[in-house]
Amino acid sequence: MDTERIFRALADPTRRAVFERLAAGEMSVGDLKAGFDVSQPAVSQHLAALRKAGLVSERREGRNVFYRITPEGLAPLANWMQRYRDFWPERVERLKTVLKEMEQ
Amino acid sequence: MNERSQQDEITVECTVPDAPEKVWRALTVPELLAAWLLPNDIRPEEGARFSLDGAPGEGGSVECEVLEIEPQRLIRYSWRDKGTARDGLETVVSFRVLPTADGGTRLRIVHQARVLVEKAVGQRLMACNSNVTPTMKMAA
Repeated sequence: MDTERIFRALADPTRRAVFERLAAGEMSVGDLKAGFDVSQPAVSQHLAALRKAGLVSERREGRNVFYRITPEGLAPLANWMQRYRDFWPERVERLKTVLKEMEQ
Repeated sequence: MNERSQQDEITVECTVPDAPEKVWRALTVPELLAAWLLPNDIRPEEGARFSLDGAPGEGGSVECEVLEIEPQRLIRYSWRDKGTARDGLETVVSFRVLPTADGGTRLRIVHQARVLVEKAVGQRLMACNSNVTPTMKMAA
């Protein structure tokens, strides 16, 4: 992988935001654009740069194109989210049980 | 927008019929905290370092430091495990205890994670194992 390209690709905050958004899973340009204050062509442009850097890959399905982070691309937030998303609700359920068993 | 892109959070809220003082004990007394969260040696004092045993998905310990504490109301501590260290993340958990009108408690748990981008990119570069020029090293 070309390190200079990676640096350039992630130096732009919006592009990094697009990249980190994909950490949640595969998305279309439309999915990616939702919630961003950026035009669709701009998102596409960022995706092209990320693909060039080898951080993102695309998959075509009929007329739709989906993007995802390549295995080489880091997905730290996604890893963390996956580990803790179910952990906290489950622990809160346990807390409720513990509170019931505790003395006043 | 930028802020959102570089951090994420998990929020869990619940209302229980128990008094805030009781919920506070469940959050700050080691044996009680262990009964629902993880085995630990918590000390509810600002700056106190403690650990929780058994990080989800990774195992090992979670290293914590109390960043903020308002007795009976709020405790906030850093949360670092093998996974967050490896991924270049900084994470913090806060527990806010609010009394409800009928004598119960509203508990709000927020676990926030922030990407330490420089570190993440640095690791990516090492993983790439490419020729790093002196300029790139400085940038990293």
